Amino acid sequence: MAQPDGAPRMTDQITFPDVVSWAVPFFIAAILIEVLWIAMKGKGGRYETRDAVTSLIMGAGNVASGLLLGFIAYGFFMVLWALTPLDLGTSWWVIAVCFVLDDLRYYWVHRFGHRIRWVWASHVNHHSSQHYNLTTALRQTWTGTFTFMMIVRSPLILLGFHPAMVLFCGGLNLIYQFWIHTEAIGKMPKWFEAVMNTPSHHRVHHGRNARYLDANYAGVFIVWDKLFGTYVPELEEEKPDYGLVHNLGTFNPLRVAFHEWVGIFKDATQPGITWRDRLNYCVMPPGWSHDGSRDTSEEIKRKYLAHHPEKRGTPGF
Amino acid sequence: MPLHILLPLVVLGIAGIAVLLHLIGWSKPATLADDAAAKRAWLEEFPDDPPKRVVLSHDHHAALIETEKGHGVVWPMGADTTARYLTDAKISRTGKGLRIDLPDYTAPRIHLTLDAEEANQWPSLMEHPA
Repeated sequence: MAQPDGAPRMTDQITFPDVVSWAVPFFIAAILIEVLWIAMKGKGGRYETRDAVTSLIMGAGNVASGLLLGFIAYGFFMVLWALTPLDLGTSWWVIAVCFVLDDLRYYWVHRFGHRIRWVWASHVNHHSSQHYNLTTALRQTWTGTFTFMMIVRSPLILLGFHPAMVLFCGGLNLIYQFWIHTEAIGKMPKWFEAVMNTPSHHRVHHGRNARYLDANYAGVFIVWDKLFGTYVPELEEEKPDYGLVHNLGTFNPLRVAFHEWVGIFKDATQPGITWRDRLNYCVMPPGWSHDGSRDTSEEIKRKYLAHHPEKRGTPGF
Repeated sequence: MPLHILLPLVVLGIAGIAVLLHLIGWSKPATLADDAAAKRAWLEEFPDDPPKRVVLSHDHHAALIETEKGHGVVWPMGADTTARYLTDAKISRTGKGLRIDLPDYTAPRIHLTLDAEEANQWPSLMEHPA
C-alpha cells in the first residue's frame, strides 16, 4: 500500500517470468497434436500449409516486435508506477484480482480493436486467416505498440498493480486464448461455457457471417460480453465462416501485418476530402467511408436482414 | 526463455510444421467444383454483385466473373479462395497462364494457371462484355 515519502516500495524490483516465451514448446506440441488428430480422424478442423506458415511467422514476428518495442509500453508503465503512491504487493489474491481486471481491460481493448480502425489496423491480421486452428491463435500483430492501447492499462498501474505483474497476467491471458482457437473441441460443459471463453464462443468471434460480426470480444471470461451486450452464441444451424469480410489475396507476412495501415494512409491522404473525413478514416469503425461506398458491420447486418427478415431478433441481429 | 534456445525452437518449429503439413497433403489449392461453386466464391467477397457470367478454368482452380460492375477473378488462396475486380489490372502471359498485377496492397499479384487457349482468350474476355 502507500509508502512513506522516499521509502522504496516492496515491489519496486520484482520480476515475473515471461510466460509466453516459456509456452512456445507447448504451442508447438499442441499444434502437432491437433494436426495429427485432424489427419487421423478426418474431422475437427482444417490446415493448409501456406496459411499455417504465415500464421506462425506472424507469431514469431509478434515476439520479435515485443523484444524491439516492448520498452515503450513498459517505460510508460514504469512512469505511471513512479507516480502512483499505491502498491498492492504481490500476494496471490492481488495477482488473481489483477488477472480478472486485466481481462476486463482486454475485453475493452479488443472491442476498440474492432470498432476503431486505427486499432483494427493492428488487430486485423489476427482475423486474416480463412482457417481456424491453433496456428490462427499465433497470428498476432506486429504493430500493437502503435495503437497506444497501453493507455487502457493505466488504471491498473495507478491502482497499485506492479507493471511486471500486469504484463504477467496479460501473458497468462494470451496463453489461455491459445487453446480456444480450434474446431476440434465442440462445446465444453454448460457451467464452463457460461463463465469462460471457449472454442465455441471464440469461433463466433472469428466468423465473418453477418450474424457473428462484432461479437464475443472476451479474452478469458465470457461474462464481459454478457455484461456489455456483445455476446452471441454459436448456432448449430450456422457454422462460422472464418476470415475477413474481404479476404486477403496474399500470404506475404509483411502485407498481412501492414495492409490496413496502408489502407488508412491511402484513404486519409486522398485528395478532395475534408480534414474531418481524414480523421474519420483513422478512428471510425472499419468499413466507414466518406461517401458511403463501403459497408460497416452495421450496414452488412442491415443488408443481410433486408434479404432475410425472418432472422431479425435472433442472436446477433 | 533465453534467446539462444527460443530462436532455434521457433525456426525449427515452423519448418517442421510446414514440412509435416505438406507431407500430409494439405498444400493443395482450392478447387471450384462447377460454375455454381465459382459463383458462391465470388459472392463470398462481393455479396451485392451477383455474377452475370462465369468462365471456369480447365483445371477448376480459377474463374473469370462478369458482373454489372465489370470483370473479376476468383482464385485459390491455399485451400480457400478469394476474389477481386480487375479494375486497372495489368495482364501478362506467363509460361503457365496469366499474371495479373493489381493496384491492391492486399492482392498485388495473381498467377492463374491456364491452358494455351484460355491464356489467349481470357485477356479479351476480361476487357469486353459477353
